[in-house]
Amino acid sequence: MKLASLTDGIFKNNAVLKQVLGLCPALAVTTSAVNGIAMGLATTAVLIGSNSVVSLIKSVIPAKVRIPAFIVIIASFVTVVDLMMNAFVHDLHKVLGLFIPLIVVNCVVLGRAESFASKNGVGDSFLDAVGTGLGFTFALFLLGGIREILGNGSFFGLSLFPEGFSPAILMILPPGAFIVLGFILAANNWIEERKRAKAGRAVTHG
Amino acid sequence: MAELALIFVGAVLVNNFVLSRFLGICPFFGVSRQVDTAIGMSLAVTFVMAVAGVITWIIQYTVLNKFGIGYLQTIVFILVIASLVQFVEMVIEKTSPDLYKSLGIFLPLITTNCAILGAAIINIQSGFGFVTMLVFTIGSALGFGLALVLFAGLRERTELSDIPYLFRGVPIAFITAGILALAFMGFSGLVK
Amino acid sequence: MNRNSVMMVVVLTVIAGIASLILAFVYDFTKDRIAEEYRKDFLKGLNVVLPEFDNEPDKEAVEVEGRMLYPAKKEGKLLAYAVQSVSPKGYSGDIVVLMGVDLEGKVTGIEILKHAETPGLGNKIETPHFRDSFKGLTKDDNIAVKKDGGNIEQFSGATISPRAVCEAVTSGLAFMDKALAEVEK
Repeated sequence: MKLASLTDGIFKNNAVLKQVLGLCPALAVTTSAVNGIAMGLATTAVLIGSNSVVSLIKSVIPAKVRIPAFIVIIASFVTVVDLMMNAFVHDLHKVLGLFIPLIVVNCVVLGRAESFASKNGVGDSFLDAVGTGLGFTFALFLLGGIREILGNGSFFGLSLFPEGFSPAILMILPPGAFIVLGFILAANNWIEERKRAKAGRAVTHG
Repeated sequence: MAELALIFVGAVLVNNFVLSRFLGICPFFGVSRQVDTAIGMSLAVTFVMAVAGVITWIIQYTVLNKFGIGYLQTIVFILVIASLVQFVEMVIEKTSPDLYKSLGIFLPLITTNCAILGAAIINIQSGFGFVTMLVFTIGSALGFGLALVLFAGLRERTELSDIPYLFRGVPIAFITAGILALAFMGFSGLVK
Repeated sequence: MNRNSVMMVVVLTVIAGIASLILAFVYDFTKDRIAEEYRKDFLKGLNVVLPEFDNEPDKEAVEVEGRMLYPAKKEGKLLAYAVQSVSPKGYSGDIVVLMGVDLEGKVTGIEILKHAETPGLGNKIETPHFRDSFKGLTKDDNIAVKKDGGNIEQFSGATISPRAVCEAVTSGLAFMDKALAEVEK
């Protein structure tokens, strides 16, 4: 097992921030920090399940029916998460609604099954799922947190501003989702750029 | 009749699949670089969405509900969509090589387009009858196509503009989509 | 069929079979709990709109003209009914209101069960302050927003959503007026 399997998915290959995948839930449910984290963790649970099972039985699945087999496995885990959330965290389930069954078509989940779990051992696949899932959760938390602060004037439900302050409601409406993510991605470009500039200087001076 | 018209307008403009419900975002950003490909994708999605809507609706009411196995909905629907996409691909390839050439590359992408599964599930959750379901599905697909084609037109323009370095590529695409979504918000309140 | 395609079918069938078995098991494990949660949701609404009761209104519901009335009783004495009322005139879609009405036709409380109004504007109809302004009103009161000459306070930036709630309450009261006579028979 390699530690890189875990950390790659969190930062270097973050599904939302670097690969720009899994956007539907990332945009749709991130009206608050809590919702973002909840959706992220639900997806992580499915990822862990599907990655582990796919890597366990990869050798018995004929290559031609690989994708349908993966889809059935993923859909089963999604249904389990859906039922469990409905029973035990009912209020969150109501908020996330349609986007829980739609984890099935989250390209991140199928993508990891196809490109990682079907080629690696159980241990690495498990770590990869945890890393990818946490990276996804982090991105959704970031987006949800920013939108909640700007659009609702609160963070984790706690009011940040004095009475009478009116927040930019737009940010928790659909257009805000696109705009905030656009700025996050631009900020990300800026960080990359600085890193590259620093590395460049180190080379010339060294 | 009036009610159906409202549902149709609502699905195309007010609750636009992409810009207000956030369904089908991946192809929305993936194939919106040129207007031509955007139109091709929209046609393919409309077709698959309508057929998938009909089949899943029938399965829900004649099989899942009858035997009390509603919890298998997700698994059954996604399998229907995946096999449908495969089947459509084969048929088009055999019957019309020209159409296949223009739509072919989009078809595999459609399985993981959450707009298709999303529409199928919304149909059931809202308790639509058969005709309402058909109107809603086609309206949603056209709404998806409309947003996609408009967005592709905007992107063709921004490609040529002088954009701040850090925003080039994906970030400006998101912000453009945000402004388009803002424009579509003007339609809310249209149906009441 | 050659060996390969047999294998394909077998593997897919086995996977699908195992998957449905596991799901059936999980479903069986969670279904009572889920039903209980949905019931709790509904009871929460009934608790808000009805005066204090000690019966089980959702289990003693009576049907009048296809609509369900949920009776609130205390020590066997009937106090009020809760009924759902819908207005299609919301800003985006139907607004579903659950309202309690006592035997004299007075509103004992309302709760918004479903709406898709704009967050930050129209969704203020959920606030207790707004909902409480309906308490004690009867069908003879002028239930409308102040802008329309009524006695319900609207809020800045949104008139359509509160107007739709007023409409739902008015039609609910008109229905209850008939229904109360019907039930007493």
